[in-house]
Amino acid sequence: MTIAVASGKGGAGKTSLTSAIAAAFGESCVVADCDVDAANGAIALGALPWESEPYFAGPGFSIEIAACIACGACAEACRFGAIRQRPGGNSYAIVPELCERCGACVDRCTAGAIVTSEKEAGRLFVSDTRLGARLAHAELLPGEDTSGKLVRKVRERADRLAGHEGIVLVDAPPGIGCPVIASLTGTECVVILVEASVSGIRDAKRLIELAASMGRKMVAVINKTGLDTAMDEEARAAVREAGLPLAGEIPFDPSLRSAEERGMTWLNVEGAAGDCVRAAIAALRSLVDSYGRR
Amino acid sequence: MSEISRVIIAVASGKGGTGKTTIASHLALAGSMKRAAILVDLDVEAPDSFGYFPAAAPLGPPEAVSVRLPTVDAQRCLGCSHCAKVCRFGALIAIGGVVTIDERTCKGCGRCVASCPAGALIEQDLEVGETRAARSGTLVLLEGRMKVGDIRSTAVIEAAKKRAERSGVALEVRDCPPGTSCPAVHALAGANYLVLVAEPTEFSLHDLGAAIELAMSLHIPAGVILNKDGFGSADVESFCAARRVPVIGRIAFDRKRAQKGVAGMLWQEDQEMMACMDAVLASADTAMRFCVPAEEGGKP
Repeated sequence: MTIAVASGKGGAGKTSLTSAIAAAFGESCVVADCDVDAANGAIALGALPWESEPYFAGPGFSIEIAACIACGACAEACRFGAIRQRPGGNSYAIVPELCERCGACVDRCTAGAIVTSEKEAGRLFVSDTRLGARLAHAELLPGEDTSGKLVRKVRERADRLAGHEGIVLVDAPPGIGCPVIASLTGTECVVILVEASVSGIRDAKRLIELAASMGRKMVAVINKTGLDTAMDEEARAAVREAGLPLAGEIPFDPSLRSAEERGMTWLNVEGAAGDCVRAAIAALRSLVDSYGRR
Repeated sequence: MSEISRVIIAVASGKGGTGKTTIASHLALAGSMKRAAILVDLDVEAPDSFGYFPAAAPLGPPEAVSVRLPTVDAQRCLGCSHCAKVCRFGALIAIGGVVTIDERTCKGCGRCVASCPAGALIEQDLEVGETRAARSGTLVLLEGRMKVGDIRSTAVIEAAKKRAERSGVALEVRDCPPGTSCPAVHALAGANYLVLVAEPTEFSLHDLGAAIELAMSLHIPAGVILNKDGFGSADVESFCAARRVPVIGRIAFDRKRAQKGVAGMLWQEDQEMMACMDAVLASADTAMRFCVPAEEGGKP
């Protein structure tokens, strides 16, 4: 069974909540950290990597200066603005960060100056964690594309670790783009983490629309309540209007932050904020169980 | 060296939720007191900067952003499946000589269209998002908004950048998406200066490191704002010093600011905040005097 935690907005508390849920599930679960270009699961869970492999995004292109006749056909063919004239004007160059690797330039180059090359775009890791849960995670090198493809690799690795009986917890990236779609695909349930703020609610609504269009079952958790009661009420209304069950609410409380600094997850925080976390996770587990049985 | 007539400051972070939109909005606001300024929201999957300006008046109707996607003219198609072979995205599938196009995964690169020997692929516009403009006092607001369910965020980002350029406004402040992959790269490309917003947590530091690397590979001079100072105990200052990136501003964490933040209210009367924004604008001006704009291919 696979459960994703997503929020739309960044910084809503996805990784923290995922870690707390992982602590509750313990050894039976595998966390898939799918926020591959801002991966914090390894820090939150105290990862001890025991396996790593290079990730190749697919061949990229570059222009050999000596062969380039500076005709400019490649730049004309490129729709992504990734090909520019080199200073001096005697040749062209591909800006790797902007290149989509479509290869349209190769077809147009009459000089055969465009060559393909394969380089490591990141690494994929499998780790043990101090919580007992195992972790599949990755580091995409800054500026690399194809994060959706790497998300699929992380998911595959997590699925293999979990086997048929295990639980996979997907920590999704922010936004609603391709790595998010790759994170939600094939999950039994999506935990929609709504930050009780103007932007948190707005972004959650877009995410709910996306997850609904993908036919996902959803459960909501509201985070950072207690700062503004009107905003808390708006978050509840958004969850209600979307027809989602609300598993619980977690207050904005410095004790949660400081517990993480001491290497704990939210699950083990003493006091009222910790009680809210435990209640939300208990409710989540029973809701998710009922989805799993259906 | 020549004066830079248009200044583009990008606000990014790596990690989400560190305060990019808050900083970008206030930076644009502070800038608009002295010159014409535009705030461009390039977090097209989750655009939130308009939320700070609820009274802004729309500037014309939204403009649609489209990509050109191929469709198959079955009358002309030879069934050679050459198009499916050249597509690097797996967006064209040829089974038994019949080509189908998955318009969700097609990036609109046009390679298949150019390579079809029969001219059987005809391109049509598909809407992937829109840009909207508004005015709040002297500040112009612009946002890119990707359609829910689409994945072509970079097309929307580029369209918003072009529309901002058309406006010709002297100071452009970009609110960038989180992360360091394609959407962030497109949002940063062409900026003269990068403001990285960090909070004192281990999560933020890790992602800040990646964002600094990206800035270096794009040759954009950068400075860091330490936001929510006191919220956690991670040492942003030493982290930045080790990477030779200056800390150009500090904003202390306080519950009142957090409350304003969740309610989407500006902190204009917050003197510490506005003084910090003025200092950041000054840092950007200084840094740019020593650098050639990234767009012109120069290195610092």
